[in-house]
Amino acid sequence: MPSLDTPLAATATATPGGEELGLDLPDFSSSLYKDAYSRINAIVIEGEQEAHDNYISLGSLIPDQAEELARLARMELKHKKGFTACANNLSVTADMEFAREFFSPLHGNFQTALAEGKVVTCLLIQAILIEAFAISAYHIYIPVADPFARKITEGVVKDEYTHLNYGQEWLKANLEASREELEQANRANLPLVRKMLEQVAGDAAVLHMDQEDLMADFMTSYQEALTDIGFTPREIARMATAALLG
Amino acid sequence: MFGLIGHSTSLEQARSKARDLGFPEYADGDLDLWCVAPPQLVETVSITSLTGQTIEGAYIDSVFVPEMLSRFKTARRKVLSAMDLAQKSGIDITALGGFTSIIFENFNLLKAQQIRSTSLDWERFTTGNTHTAWVITQQVETNAPELGIELSRAKVAVVGATGDIGSAVCRWLSRNTGVGELLLVARQQQPLLDLQTELGEGRILSLEEALPEADVVVWVASLPQGLAIDPASLKKPCLMIDGGYPKNLDAKVAGGGVHVIKGGIVEFWQDIGWQMMEVAEMDNPQRQLFACFAEAMLLDFEGLHTNFSWGRNNISLDNMELIGAASLRHGFRSIGLNQVQLRQLAAA
Repeated sequence: MPSLDTPLAATATATPGGEELGLDLPDFSSSLYKDAYSRINAIVIEGEQEAHDNYISLGSLIPDQAEELARLARMELKHKKGFTACANNLSVTADMEFAREFFSPLHGNFQTALAEGKVVTCLLIQAILIEAFAISAYHIYIPVADPFARKITEGVVKDEYTHLNYGQEWLKANLEASREELEQANRANLPLVRKMLEQVAGDAAVLHMDQEDLMADFMTSYQEALTDIGFTPREIARMATAALLG
Repeated sequence: MFGLIGHSTSLEQARSKARDLGFPEYADGDLDLWCVAPPQLVETVSITSLTGQTIEGAYIDSVFVPEMLSRFKTARRKVLSAMDLAQKSGIDITALGGFTSIIFENFNLLKAQQIRSTSLDWERFTTGNTHTAWVITQQVETNAPELGIELSRAKVAVVGATGDIGSAVCRWLSRNTGVGELLLVARQQQPLLDLQTELGEGRILSLEEALPEADVVVWVASLPQGLAIDPASLKKPCLMIDGGYPKNLDAKVAGGGVHVIKGGIVEFWQDIGWQMMEVAEMDNPQRQLFACFAEAMLLDFEGLHTNFSWGRNNISLDNMELIGAASLRHGFRSIGLNQVQLRQLAAA
């Protein structure tokens, strides 16, 4: 029940105004910012490239949907171009070697699953985990992005929802047959996402992206996707927290 | 469909409830895990009015706990995410309960309409303050005479008088009830002067000055931590309506002629059959609930899918009368002195 003259008022007024959306922007021209951006931007570019490759690969496992997957893949390449332009705009060279290393554990797991013909695992990794990771990172980035990157990222995030949706729809339609593999794939891959978030926390902080915000937004996106697929709140809590605690 | 956004009263209580509800991983999680956990729609319930009308509702736990109050960004995100979930769940009207309403107001979240991919539709939310204010006035009007306090001659102190609820209560007591004298207490002087001008009455006092004079004290501010009240300095009898959040007045002052009632709490005419309210510290959790929650139910019963209570100092007497009439019609009543208190009175 609300009462307004609470001690909270003091806390609220003591909070820097920059906490409000869009006000606390970093210095985009500083060398510190550019250095951190070279890695974050590379992760995004590599992520879009991986997504492209993964959707094309998924087309070989689900041939009747190869055309739709190729369409999604093309969108990822368009995003990659956009993010490359963002780096150019800030005169930053993306550290692609770092990014490839960053993605290598998830990349490896995807390739293994692909070789074994495991559609469910491949979809969970690409269409759910990576998409939810990307969407949450973009949500947190948009308010603190430079104006050029902001516009591009806003366009990208709308597309990414359609990709998340693609994976959700497929897994929803095949839930009962997929359930066990999904839970296993979740156990194997969700901790990797947590490690990836932890690995970029320092650079993200320079971009004024808070690690707790990133994790919380990811958890929300992931919960929404699993809810849509048909898992119950208790199952989701078990899947999400067990992996994060593990 | 109505919605209620609530939270546990402490991390410890939240973890215990998580275990009971079948979320053992949350039960074992530390504060950091709770900070990143998404809101949960934990329960749906259907309730039937005295009129026979039945509506459906949902309880959303914001997964906020008061231990997060010092983390501004976390608290802000918790409230907005819970509202996002309510809106995505298709709930027509949702009340913000407990600290969520306070956080929304004090952190000025009206500026934060965009949360993730959702643009929040304010029309779907209500603070519930109009009903809370009305219920508090009923608690004063009904219970003061039970204690032998004649309101037309009584001094009524309103602590937190310039807040949304406090100012509405003052307006009602001044225009409708007609109390002997209003004692206006709040931290900021200018809003107090403005309120005094609007009411055309009321004496502005500090808390220390007001308490010994008051026959009735309406608390609609949370108690400052460490506040000590000397019960000996209070009038006997004295009626105290504890309308703040959290409610902790009883332990400080009750007894020896000082009678404390939990303010802004209503009782439904029959059991509601929900699990979540058991965690709220109600004497009868199956029937008692915060009036602000009940407002969402009332608005749904009445088909008033609008942000009936919104912003600050917008509560009109007309709206208080409207929601009050609906409250009675659908089977809510304001809680008053309990059986123990009444027995003590009779014995005295």
